[in-house]
Amino acid sequence: MNRLVKQLLIIIILSTLVGLLRNSLFPNEIAIIGEWRDLSNGEEPVIPPTAEKGDPPFIAINVAQMEYSTKGTKFIDARDFDEYECGTIPGSINIPFDYLPEGDLKPYFDSLLGGIPLDYPLIIYCSGEECDLSLHLGRNFMDVGYSNIMIFFGGSREWESYGLEVERISNCEE
Amino acid sequence: MRRIIDNDILTLLIRLIVGIIFIYASYYKIIDPQSFAKSIWFYHLVPGKLINIIAIILPWIELTAGIGLILGVYYKGSVALVNILTLFFIIALSMAIIRGISIDCGCFKAAAATSESAWETLKFDFGLVILTIFLVISRSKRWMLSQP
Repeated sequence: MNRLVKQLLIIIILSTLVGLLRNSLFPNEIAIIGEWRDLSNGEEPVIPPTAEKGDPPFIAINVAQMEYSTKGTKFIDARDFDEYECGTIPGSINIPFDYLPEGDLKPYFDSLLGGIPLDYPLIIYCSGEECDLSLHLGRNFMDVGYSNIMIFFGGSREWESYGLEVERISNCEE
Repeated sequence: MRRIIDNDILTLLIRLIVGIIFIYASYYKIIDPQSFAKSIWFYHLVPGKLINIIAIILPWIELTAGIGLILGVYYKGSVALVNILTLFFIIALSMAIIRGISIDCGCFKAAAATSESAWETLKFDFGLVILTIFLVISRSKRWMLSQP
């Protein structure tokens, strides 16, 4: 066999074996078959006409899905509890914008988010394009000092439209 | 010109530079395969089901090829692989830029969503490909642990 082809095969086979072995032995193992979705049509973020300069950045569905996959971000559902329990992005924390307490919101957010650092990445969303709750809640978070906020304005509707996982606390009829 | 290209010391120097770059580039990918998988996914170039397996294997190919270059073991295969990988990175980055996906490359750390460093990395990769092509052309065979 040609020396070059032989060497290429040896390197690739060796790397494959070592890679698979390392992946199975160490704690941060990943599944061999990934569950990454092809969201090539969802790269443009939905930006509401009410957005203003200085608002948190708006992210597209693919970025939201990526952050969800990597588990390093908290998702916050800004809708009322009755909408939240009918279907939310799994693991989301419900902070209904319409029921925010009066006064200093920092202790309230701290209690709900478990005192995470102010630069912890947060993705805030509500139902979709007709809903401004995520934007308003995002501004509240910024006001009390959180610095790594993203608004997923496509919201739960865009999330569901891509067939992504949804957590339903109760079975609600449409 | 031929004498310069075949110069043993120059070839060894370039082997060391390219080898160290590839070993360094493999490091974060090996210790954090999840972040590297995320970086691959950002490019939207490979089917979702293949992303993790690429993230598991590719860094080890980089590492092995880098070590092969430095030690002169499986040298021809290592030179071919660093060329193939560098060209692949250039194509992937170029396609990301053309398609308007705003990312950095994920070459040495996890790709970020909003960084605008893709152009910088592309320039770096073009510099790197000059060095990897040099290794293809050079006929120097000194300081190798085995026959190339």
